Amino acid sequence: MTTERECDQLLVERVQAGDRRAFDLLVSKYQRRLMRLVSRLVHDPAEAEDVVQETFIKAFRALRHFRGDSAFYTWLYRIGINTAKNFLVTQGRRAPTSTEADAERAEGFDDADSLRDINTPESVLASKQIAFTVNAAMEALPLELRTAIVLREIEGLSYEEISEVMACPIGTVRSRIFRAREVIAEKLRPLLDIPADKRR
Amino acid sequence: MDTNKKNREYISALMDGETPDADLELAMAALGGPEGQQAWDTFHRIGDLLRAEATPELSHGFEERLAARLAAEPLQARRTAGAAEPAGGSAVATPR
Repeated sequence: MTTERECDQLLVERVQAGDRRAFDLLVSKYQRRLMRLVSRLVHDPAEAEDVVQETFIKAFRALRHFRGDSAFYTWLYRIGINTAKNFLVTQGRRAPTSTEADAERAEGFDDADSLRDINTPESVLASKQIAFTVNAAMEALPLELRTAIVLREIEGLSYEEISEVMACPIGTVRSRIFRAREVIAEKLRPLLDIPADKRR
Repeated sequence: MDTNKKNREYISALMDGETPDADLELAMAALGGPEGQQAWDTFHRIGDLLRAEATPELSHGFEERLAARLAAEPLQARRTAGAAEPAGGSAVATPR
């Protein structure tokens, strides 16, 4: 039986041998997954789409260097994340890093507290408010934390795969995912009515 | 890091199936208490909510526009075997 990774590698080898149509098949397979990832980093859909297109162009140009040491999709995701980061920088937007200062800034996010003041009794807080809080907390996360949790929770990558995509040790992946969850959980806490002394 | 925070980190890795063998006993013990169960529930809730959010669709014509750009790209042959490649292989070759 051929695994997904082996199937991708066969297509990659066909592109490397001069078959352009094989790359179209890879585009067809990964365009929506790549959009899902990139749209979590670049929020404007049109801009995200530009980043996706640029990612595929870069991947096509670099494919002759690809040896298959890692899975094609982890390599492609890495290009996508780098392209998104570069896009944010050239747009003059802050591409947050995982510095302590950024983490503190993320932890200072207080929309969840504001939500409690919108005349909505805690007992009937709608799931939409919870979803809003999760998404707002996500957007406030430093880019490294956001990327790590998206790759895990949405893309379903293993820590090893994420370490390849993000070019960092597995321990750092574990820590980034945990920190992302902690920050989001802290913002959710007022809505879920979890006493603070139960979490510390 | 305080003990409860460390316990939640064990749980975070456990729910991802990424707990090192050496930490497994500690992770399971952390999951035994109410704080651990609460973290387990909240972390899973976060994942479920993230997966539930809609993803923007690619616009009509995306594939055609990309295909047109790809068609304009020269098809470069695979580097010959034995050519020097930096340590780290494909990871190093990732374009930025």
